[in-house]
Amino acid sequence: MSSSTIQLPRVRQLIKPSSHKNTPAWVVGLLSLAVAVLIGVKGGPAQLVTTLVTGGMWALMSVGLALIFGVMNIPHFAHGESFMVGAFVAWAVFTPLNGYLQQHPSRFLSTVAPFAGIIVAAIVGAAMGVVIERVIFATLRHRTKEGWVMNAFLLTVGISYVLTNGATLTLGPDYRGVPQYWDVPPLQFLGIRLTVDRLAAFIIALVVIVTLWLFLQRTSTGRAIRAVSQDETGAQMVGINLDGIQTLTFALATATAALAGASLLFMFPAYPLVGLNPLYYSWYVVMLVGLGNVPGAILGGFIVALFQTATQQFFGISWINVVPTAIMVIVLLVAPSGIFGSEVKGIQEQ
Amino acid sequence: MLAIKDIDASYDFLQVLWGVSLAVQEGEFVALIGPNGAGKTTTLRTIAGLIRPSAGQVIFDGKSIKGLRPHEISRMGVAYVSESLNLFTNMSVRENLWLGAYSIHDKERREESQQFVFQLFPRLKERAKQLAGTMSGGERKMLAIARGIMSCPRAMLIDEPSLGLAPHLAHEVFQGLLTLNKRGVTILLVEQNVHMTLEITSRAYVLEHGRVVMAGPSQELKQNEHVRKAYLGI
Repeated sequence: MSSSTIQLPRVRQLIKPSSHKNTPAWVVGLLSLAVAVLIGVKGGPAQLVTTLVTGGMWALMSVGLALIFGVMNIPHFAHGESFMVGAFVAWAVFTPLNGYLQQHPSRFLSTVAPFAGIIVAAIVGAAMGVVIERVIFATLRHRTKEGWVMNAFLLTVGISYVLTNGATLTLGPDYRGVPQYWDVPPLQFLGIRLTVDRLAAFIIALVVIVTLWLFLQRTSTGRAIRAVSQDETGAQMVGINLDGIQTLTFALATATAALAGASLLFMFPAYPLVGLNPLYYSWYVVMLVGLGNVPGAILGGFIVALFQTATQQFFGISWINVVPTAIMVIVLLVAPSGIFGSEVKGIQEQ
Repeated sequence: MLAIKDIDASYDFLQVLWGVSLAVQEGEFVALIGPNGAGKTTTLRTIAGLIRPSAGQVIFDGKSIKGLRPHEISRMGVAYVSESLNLFTNMSVRENLWLGAYSIHDKERREESQQFVFQLFPRLKERAKQLAGTMSGGERKMLAIARGIMSCPRAMLIDEPSLGLAPHLAHEVFQGLLTLNKRGVTILLVEQNVHMTLEITSRAYVLEHGRVVMAGPSQELKQNEHVRKAYLGI
């Protein structure tokens, strides 16, 4: 790039928000840093750990949302239901395993059993994604693309209703949770008590996000996904099968949400409406950073978690939904396309 | 090798092409010229599968490709370089080229085509890491053509490569196309720059109001009274 002497036009770049122009990103970034320091001073490192664990999960949820919007232009309002399904599946797999382990203790199996639940949840999530995409969105896409964003949005709301009510009908409104995945004493350091479950949830989120990121950046299929999000026609022109990429994207996003629901089962017991909060928070994240901006969503997950922890710390837990919503209103007024901007063909264009 | 027969095509209720037929032989460099709105772009988009014709046949290599989806046609070896380029603006030049070779699984062939396009347009090599969206118009045109070449096509459909380019850049692009044709790639070129186009192509079709009104060797068309008046301004 050193050879380029021409003046670059103002294109907001992914991940590297152009340093001198992007004021909203700087304001939010500095604000987050200040809040993090405040929390660290007042609440101690324990609060920062909480932020990281929650942030990892919001990031995991938001990445899926950003992918679905970026690649398929669907404002997905049934993303929480993937979380819910993941939680139920993990519960259904883990509970009998755990019962068996109570009678036949085995160190190895107790370590592995939670992973079994989480992995099965992700697989079921992916399968659910494929079915929903093929049956509903592919059908709509092949029929007409007119008014796509609105129609797709209404469909996702419908899917959400069907899934939550279906769950209530078949499984009942009861909470089904597990007290903990790994029955071992919490880790203690720096005066923090960190349960293995929370640590595992954070590590899982991190591993999945990094894997997904490398997949998108380094593999030919990942590159094709990004290509579709930037120019559908161009993608077809180079031989990319749009339908295949869209189904894959939807399945990936649904699987990560299900995985989030499964790995947080110890915190959020499974019940039909368990996906609502994760849905709201992942929407806060993608609106904050810009719809369809995947790397932004990762960062945004942690920023929103930070504001959440700060609200809890300084205003009390009853304000926990108020502050993020207020911030959202401000962001929409000041920087409607999000603080990092979004590069995808968006609602504006439709 | 590439032919369309009696194509009708329309956007919603507006019919644009009326029984258009043309044929390009293997290794030929053929131009399609005509005024704005004549249906030149529509013709190319129809061959590329982006528009479904309401009547007629599209034939590539003796097989009907009508109704195939764009990615299938691209994989058969027909590369389309659109007027709006459809680049992946937020990706680097190199990534755009890699995506051009998306359906080529042979690593050696990919490397070979990459070397060829860098040789053809050395500017792209200098800018390999730059985002496609931050390049100048001429560089973007080159990148779009290069991306098409990366799929090792047997035929290329190229729409208005010289539009909006400074004369020396347009010249560079045309030289690139000639080199490409000499390597055996069949080219169907749509152009507004009729003078230059008739210089480098061997045959040309003239499209007006969605109908082919004239066809013949480029040198002959250059002498034609109607072409001279309407397109060459002589």
